[in-house]
Amino acid sequence: MTTALERISPSPSGGGQRGGAVVVERSVPMAGAVELVVHHPPSAVAAAPGQFFQLAVSAPHTILRRPYSAAWTDPASGRVGFIFNVVGAGSSWLSGLDEGDELDLLGPLGQGFDLEGDRPAICVAGGLGVAVFPGVVRALIARGRSVVVLEGARIATQLLPASRFPGADVRVATDDGSAGHSGSVVELFAKYFPPPSGEGRVGAVDILTCGPTPMLTALIDAALRQEISLSSIQVALETPMGCGIGTCLGCAAPRAGAGYFLTCQDGPCVRADRIAWDLMTDAFHG
Amino acid sequence: MVASGTFGYGFDAPQVDRTVLGAIVSKGTTLRPREGNAPTRIAETPSGMLNAIGLQNPGVDFVARAYAPRWATWDVPVIVNVAGDSVDEYVAVASRLDGVAGVAGLELNISCPNVESGLQFGIDPKMAAEVTRAVRSVTELPLIVKLTPNVTDIVAVARAVEDAGADAVSAINTYVGTAIDVRRRHPILSRGSGGLSGPAIKPLALHAVWQVAGEVHIPVIGVGGIMTPDDALEFLLAGAAAVQLGTVNYVRPQAATEIHHGIGAYLVEHDLPDLRALPIRPAGVLSHV
Repeated sequence: MTTALERISPSPSGGGQRGGAVVVERSVPMAGAVELVVHHPPSAVAAAPGQFFQLAVSAPHTILRRPYSAAWTDPASGRVGFIFNVVGAGSSWLSGLDEGDELDLLGPLGQGFDLEGDRPAICVAGGLGVAVFPGVVRALIARGRSVVVLEGARIATQLLPASRFPGADVRVATDDGSAGHSGSVVELFAKYFPPPSGEGRVGAVDILTCGPTPMLTALIDAALRQEISLSSIQVALETPMGCGIGTCLGCAAPRAGAGYFLTCQDGPCVRADRIAWDLMTDAFHG
Repeated sequence: MVASGTFGYGFDAPQVDRTVLGAIVSKGTTLRPREGNAPTRIAETPSGMLNAIGLQNPGVDFVARAYAPRWATWDVPVIVNVAGDSVDEYVAVASRLDGVAGVAGLELNISCPNVESGLQFGIDPKMAAEVTRAVRSVTELPLIVKLTPNVTDIVAVARAVEDAGADAVSAINTYVGTAIDVRRRHPILSRGSGGLSGPAIKPLALHAVWQVAGEVHIPVIGVGGIMTPDDALEFLLAGAAAVQLGTVNYVRPQAATEIHHGIGAYLVEHDLPDLRALPIRPAGVLSHV
């Protein structure tokens, strides 16, 4: 297609490799979620922070693979971690896997986050959106960058523990006030990063975010109020997805200007100024 | 073969061994570029999926200029799926592709359920014949017509396009279906409905092939929910001369290779010389189920 976005990271796209990974660890990192650690050295080496994999599921009556971002990778041990909420037939089936079980994964796919630069990085995670950040934060810290993690959840037990972000300044918000700021993570962001007095601050920080669409749109509004350029915000998008490799055209998302881009090829990590936010609806949060 | 819309223009699935494919059928291609439908475009349903992509494609001119020269270097034929809103548009697209190196044939998509007008040609034998005849008159390329199952009598449409000069028919395109998000109280797909594919429709597709293959004398290409070698063999036994793989390409990118080898193993195991020995009935026997 002639409509491809300018991609934000140099990570390879298209095709990916398919392979049989073996589950080596299963745990519950936070309420309602499961973390599967698989051993698959080619994936652990190839995946850039923010890229995703298509996981095959064999649950009755399901057919499509499930797209999950890698939560983290460890090339040295050949391991890749996935964190997901158990919400439907596919994730239920995946959550039933245990040590020694095989998992067919396709990837890494799509575009990861652009981690280059030296400005402070603020990672804003809403709900399960936090699942992409352990590896991202580790990579940012390894680049010598200052990192703040702002994490929001409904209740304290649904927060991924701050210990998963060594080296980062982690602040939390919960809807019920059971931990940290009582309210949304976007409010926490506004509190942490108040509007500038006098001089603008365009270009002062990089913001990396992932979460439900209403949270993302609220964050975009807050960032604009605080004179943060949308080009300094990167969003890891979640859309319904078919193939994951650009052939089914099912994961279209509205592009700024006109038309659509494909989340699987042009994303999932996309600069916020590339998205037509007025056309983003809750339906995107699959 | 790999079915239209499930393999792009052949460039995005490097894992597939193209040498096992009889042909690649391209994404539906129209005269002008189309952006496609607004999201949400796909939804998983029991043993299947709905799609309403809306013929997103770069337009025939781009396809002829940018893609066809690359196809010309491949060892697998590429058949361009042609879509349009009017007889004139189908004719214009077919004319543009006639004689273009790298284009091995055309598949007329008179059965797309996801645009305003594509389906109407496929549901009326007279209109199906009219568009087939018009395209036939402007191209020397092998001409396949892809039939819609969303009709009362698919055999009548198949006969009409055979009489109008089609070299083969593909049966079938997707069934129109709907899925509703009970939490949002709203259809999942932005268009409300879409085309159902996958194993959910396999028995329906097989029945259509069985009916059509018994009534026409041109080859029938079976398509609809094939996931395994045995699925493909069912279509071949029902009278299909070839099969297309669709939704399975999304799930197992290597499926074409597996199914190709599975069919080969079956022929050896049953001491059959080739696919032509498979149909249970001879073509066009005018028998009914």
